[in-house]
Amino acid sequence: MRNPYEVLGIREGASVDEIKRAYKELVKKYHPDQYRNNPLSELAEEKLKEINQAYDYLMKQYEKSGSQYRNQSSSYGSNSGYGNDTSLYSQIRMNIMNGNIQAAETLLNRVTMKDAEWHYLRGLIFMRKGWYNEAVNSINTAVNMDPSNMEYRDALNRIAYANNRYQAYGYDRRYSAGGPDLCTMCQCLICSDCCCECMGGDLINCI
Amino acid sequence: MKKIGLFMFGYILPDKGEMKIKEYELFRAYYCGVCKSMGKSFGPLCRFALNYDSVFLGMLLSSINKESVSLKKEPCIANPLKRKWVVKNSNSVDFSADINIILTYYKFKDDWTDEKSYLAKLGQIVISPGYKRALNCSKEAESHIKKSLEKLHALESQRCSSMDIAADPFGELIKGIISIGCNWDNDKKKEAVEWLGYNIGKWIYIIDAFDDIEKDIEKNSYNPLLLQYMYKDEEVNEFKNRIRDEVRFNLIHTLAQAASAFELLDMNNKSIIENILYLGMDKKTKSVLEGRSCNKDEKSL
Repeated sequence: MRNPYEVLGIREGASVDEIKRAYKELVKKYHPDQYRNNPLSELAEEKLKEINQAYDYLMKQYEKSGSQYRNQSSSYGSNSGYGNDTSLYSQIRMNIMNGNIQAAETLLNRVTMKDAEWHYLRGLIFMRKGWYNEAVNSINTAVNMDPSNMEYRDALNRIAYANNRYQAYGYDRRYSAGGPDLCTMCQCLICSDCCCECMGGDLINCI
Repeated sequence: MKKIGLFMFGYILPDKGEMKIKEYELFRAYYCGVCKSMGKSFGPLCRFALNYDSVFLGMLLSSINKESVSLKKEPCIANPLKRKWVVKNSNSVDFSADINIILTYYKFKDDWTDEKSYLAKLGQIVISPGYKRALNCSKEAESHIKKSLEKLHALESQRCSSMDIAADPFGELIKGIISIGCNWDNDKKKEAVEWLGYNIGKWIYIIDAFDDIEKDIEKNSYNPLLLQYMYKDEEVNEFKNRIRDEVRFNLIHTLAQAASAFELLDMNNKSIIENILYLGMDKKTKSVLEGRSCNKDEKSL
């Protein structure tokens, strides 16, 4: 096992709170939802397992009852089951889930009735190939053909969500690393001004 | 579009303002390392072919391979008085220099056959001995590049009208190069590295396609975006406004996928690569989409 502190990206001897915070962040980052329709889902799962292990280990070390997170974590990982498709469609889904994209594609081409499900599965295959534009167009077609299906909508939302997450991460890295933000600075100034006024001076003469 | 020139453009840059000084220095050292390696193996003239994308390639591979590189202070032809840090003893940096030469050779060759540009012919002649030497070192990479470029050309002559399909061979090209340059000890990691490579290649292709819209309309050359969004003699800016949001969505999603692969990898220099993936490339996406890619303010590092 790797050094659990290293796995969680924290310094050795970090406090329980720090461990929990780091753990929560990492679970969010590697959550299976982030890697749905992504060829790296298995790898992400492994990573999550490693994180869970490290967390469990550290929590045991601290002999605190961190079990709430553990219970939660055990539910991550497995994908939800699919049902009520025609057998060909479920075969295609199986293939997509196992990463046999070519097999899935061949099967899909055999289907003559191009219904919403067909377009949706085609979209998933495109996602796996990294053809995002085609994927979004296909899934959009599926949503238009069957607007009540939440699974199709979810898939679209997840793609958009991945974009937001990517940009939010960059934004955070840009603006929150280290230095104080504007709000904190204002607070500081106002506080300093109050202090000065208490002592009879004035830092900002308009407040 | 001049597809082969893609990799030579230098879209992949860190966001310098967000770097720590030590990160910046190390990135520079890789830059000088690739440049020196090209000079040493292929003669000083070849060093003009240096670009940021191959610096990124060299640094990425070196980081994934967890090379223990050594740094040395050396003078430089471009600035003989000032000694600069240079990365030494890095196979990845040498590999990247080879790839750079091979791609440059193909670019010149392509320019010569397409446009009969004498400058390109001259370039081809100058670089040809270097190309042969690089060929010996990276036979596998060369044949992979050749195969991918052939596919790219085929799609171009079929006038492929889907950016995803048109970009696929270039994604495969970068994926293959990175995959060849890695020392594998874990098959699982291979998947992540390849996904990273594929998405980076794809991003370069699409962003270059958007960047070239004006030029390609003027010269009436192939550009998948013009075909996919059915350009019809409209004002260039109108066309760009029409497609901008969708292209942005695709570019950002490509980067998000690349980032998701990056997060699974264990490598050196994580903070620099992270800066490039999350900040530098995001910034570049914005600047190209808003049409400021040739901004004079953009200083070289």
